[in-house]
Amino acid sequence: MSANMMVVVVLLPIIFGVLVPLIPFKTRRHMTWYVEGIVLLTSLLVWALLISRPDGSFTLFRFTGNLSVSFRLDGLGTVFAGILSSLWPLATLYSFEYMKHEGHEKYFFMFYVITYGVTLGIALAEDILTMYFFYEMLSLVTLPLIMHTLTREAILASRTYLYYSLGGAAFAFIGMIFILTYGTTSVFVPGGVIDAAALGDRQGLMLLIYVLCFCGFSVKAAMFPFSSWLPKAGVAPTPVTALLHAVAVVKAGAFTVIRVTYYSFGTELLRGTWAQMVVLGLTIFTIVYGCSRALKETHLKRRLAWSTVSNLSYILFGAALMTPLGLVGALSHMVFHAVMKICSFFCAGAVIYKTGRNYIHELRGFGWKMPKVFTIFTISGMALMGVPGLCGFISKWNLAKAAVSSENPLGYLGLAALLVSALLTAIYMMTISIRAFFPGKDFDYDTISDVEDPNWMMILPLVIFVIAMFVFGLHPEPVIAALESIAAAMN
Amino acid sequence: MNGWILLPVFLPVIAGIFLLLMSQCERRRLHQAAGAVLVISAVLAVAAAWTGDKSVTLFYLMKDIPVYFHIDGISRLFVTFTSIVWVCVGIYAFVYMEHEGGEKRFFGLYLIVYGVIVALDFAGNLVTMYIFYELMTLTSAPLVLHNGSREAVMAALKYLFYSLCGAYMGLFGIYFLYQNCDTLAFTPGGTLNPVLAQDHRTILLIAVFAMLAGFGAKAGMLPLHSWLPAAHPVAPSPASAVFSGIVVKAGVLAAIRTVYYVVGSDFIRGTWVQTAWMVLALVTVFMGSMLAYREPVFKKRLAYSTVSQISYILFGLSLLTPMGITGALLHTVFHAFIKSALFLTAGVFIFECGKTRVSELTGIGKRMPKTVWCYTFASLALIGIPPACGFVSKWYLAEGALNADVGVFGWLGPVVLLLSALLTAGYLLPVTMKGFFPGKRDGEKTSAGNSEMKSSAVDIRDAQKKEPSMMMLIPLGILASLTIILGVLPNPLIDYISQLISGLM
Repeated sequence: MSANMMVVVVLLPIIFGVLVPLIPFKTRRHMTWYVEGIVLLTSLLVWALLISRPDGSFTLFRFTGNLSVSFRLDGLGTVFAGILSSLWPLATLYSFEYMKHEGHEKYFFMFYVITYGVTLGIALAEDILTMYFFYEMLSLVTLPLIMHTLTREAILASRTYLYYSLGGAAFAFIGMIFILTYGTTSVFVPGGVIDAAALGDRQGLMLLIYVLCFCGFSVKAAMFPFSSWLPKAGVAPTPVTALLHAVAVVKAGAFTVIRVTYYSFGTELLRGTWAQMVVLGLTIFTIVYGCSRALKETHLKRRLAWSTVSNLSYILFGAALMTPLGLVGALSHMVFHAVMKICSFFCAGAVIYKTGRNYIHELRGFGWKMPKVFTIFTISGMALMGVPGLCGFISKWNLAKAAVSSENPLGYLGLAALLVSALLTAIYMMTISIRAFFPGKDFDYDTISDVEDPNWMMILPLVIFVIAMFVFGLHPEPVIAALESIAAAMN
Repeated sequence: MNGWILLPVFLPVIAGIFLLLMSQCERRRLHQAAGAVLVISAVLAVAAAWTGDKSVTLFYLMKDIPVYFHIDGISRLFVTFTSIVWVCVGIYAFVYMEHEGGEKRFFGLYLIVYGVIVALDFAGNLVTMYIFYELMTLTSAPLVLHNGSREAVMAALKYLFYSLCGAYMGLFGIYFLYQNCDTLAFTPGGTLNPVLAQDHRTILLIAVFAMLAGFGAKAGMLPLHSWLPAAHPVAPSPASAVFSGIVVKAGVLAAIRTVYYVVGSDFIRGTWVQTAWMVLALVTVFMGSMLAYREPVFKKRLAYSTVSQISYILFGLSLLTPMGITGALLHTVFHAFIKSALFLTAGVFIFECGKTRVSELTGIGKRMPKTVWCYTFASLALIGIPPACGFVSKWYLAEGALNADVGVFGWLGPVVLLLSALLTAGYLLPVTMKGFFPGKRDGEKTSAGNSEMKSSAVDIRDAQKKEPSMMMLIPLGILASLTIILGVLPNPLIDYISQLISGLM
């Protein structure tokens, strides 16, 4: 497979996505076939790329000098592209069923498919300009998805999202300019590209710029104090919250942070400085903050969104440790959290789709009426809290290993925060399950007689995720070994 | 091939899952199936334990972390008393659970938890132990909320969250030990790498303390003890019995493994960790007894008593001397039999008469003398009156404290133990005394006109002599007589333990 296939996988969903509302489909079924076809085709091509690992890069076009839009597949990109290409077809399958009750399906699927191409663009970007370009585009193409229901709440949420994203991108832009100015090259190189000679005595300034850039990119990863857009965006249809706001968009934030930290600024420059302390402090605070907010929240999807806030900061925390082990921890949580969180969101979506209930106190007794959904929800909750045997334990283990071996007092503190967060996760996830399965002695099941499990299109993705959680939890070695080989390139 | 030693783990777990998933079936069939699996697994577990040291690696969780089982002396001891108690209580539960309902779920979980505990006892390294420690918490929580009332659900959540809090504190320590130990496999004397340990002394001490406090949550040590008095009254009595007798001992096992098999007792000897551990244990001993003394609800009283008694064990462990550990291990075994016998009696009172408060038990001795005699024997053992077994373990604990080089705690410890023994007598014996010698009926005249009150207050004394069925009485009798037999003939056990701990120091 040659390198120019990369541009195909990025452009294919974008172009064919734009066509969705233009093609006059005879029936809804035709449209779903078309959409699933594109997504599956893209995923297959991505998988072919990931397996053959073409070495070269492909430049789409060149602005001036060394500024270009170009693609290249490296280890880090493989991880992100792998996550995206595995989850997108399943999420699409799920949304065919779910979107029946939301309406405006054509526009929804148009943006849904385009977003796929754009996030792949971030994963495959060879240099910082390309990544920035797709990062900005991601904000724009996901905006209509949040706005989808066109209620007042949705419009306000999308406005918040836009302001946060654009603000973050502005900070990220400053970082990009500095990297272009002081870097030896604009492409990503493991270990960083900053030229110490060119930098001279402006190291302090560079650290400040790093903090700005980190914060800018972590807006998408919903780090405190930029986290409030994510729970608000929960008004979007569940396939959006599940795939984009638990995986694609937010992990794009984490991915870009890892890129600039490990591949542009370089950990050599940053490790042990005040800049590292600041970003570590912010991520540690967010880990606890997100969980506490999740605990307080009574709206099911918003609770999961706050949980995402906390879990993304696990990833950022791992990245901010700035050691190869930290990178392994961050990446493993990136992979595993994707599976766990999309699974719990899909369960929440199944509840909303089948019953229209949105609040946790309304879920009493649902466990016996929707046994499949709630069993899977409980398993995903256990995975999130890090029960051994499920994948959450493995990624926490890797993060903890990194934190302990970093010999950094803030690393120790972060480890404590991880465990506090695990306890809070147990509380906010298990209370839902217990409420659903043990509604109390005198509970009248007739009041929820309309509740039942959804059909196979919704259950199939859930089952696949559960299997993945167990497989990653019991036999994580292949994945971890792959991540370690990526991190090994850092030294 | 040593793979068969995992049979007592997998057999009950699979059978239990099968029971949970199976559709409703006849009671008799259910009892036969559950009973057969229980007895077979117990026999297998004991057989696996007593046929020499064996180890088996199940698979590698991560490349340097195997899920590894190894049977050593401690496993043998724990598996044996666990199996005896589990079978006795299981047989008792066949009758008892009739009035609680939901038997299929109860016995399914009962079997699963047994399998998990056997795995926990057999675990050969810290991570394997942690895995089954956490699984035990998750699988045993539904036993607490069995009756599904709001109170029970809240108690189960409390149990779950306290235990998880403790488990995560333990995990915090495990992360650090993983970096600083040569191996996490249990090795008598510890595996701490001396060079690394010297560099990270402060943080390692904090980590070890976090582990002890965290595992102490399961063992009901302050400050994470309060799940015990919440969970026991609402759980079905057989569940309370195994909780108090066995499940809390997982905390003890974890502490033993951590201190004596991974960290090594020398690392914490004389440090603030040892002092803090001792203080926490002693405060818990005293406070638990005090609270039990003041508690009117019978099962809750027994729960506070567990809080206090488990900290005897922890105090013995914290002394870090062979004598102290001997006392602790003896008390672990004895307390398992004593406390499950006590809870089974409490269950009989509930099952036969529906009485939950101590004050309602006046005159109970006339109604069921055999049961109350069993209760009395177990109580005497817990107080530590010779020749019952509690005397032996407490003797070793006090002796260990006096001989240990722990400063003021050398005499303070025995004093607290003695005070607590007095309180134990004060909270356990009134049931026997009032039970056999109800005395004059106070308020007889006033209640004469009020037939309702009369019926509720007096019916035990007027009732015919009626013992519970043999299925309940025999397990209770076995456990109660064990407390006496072990008190009269403690030497084989003491010899076994002293041989077991010879390599630890």
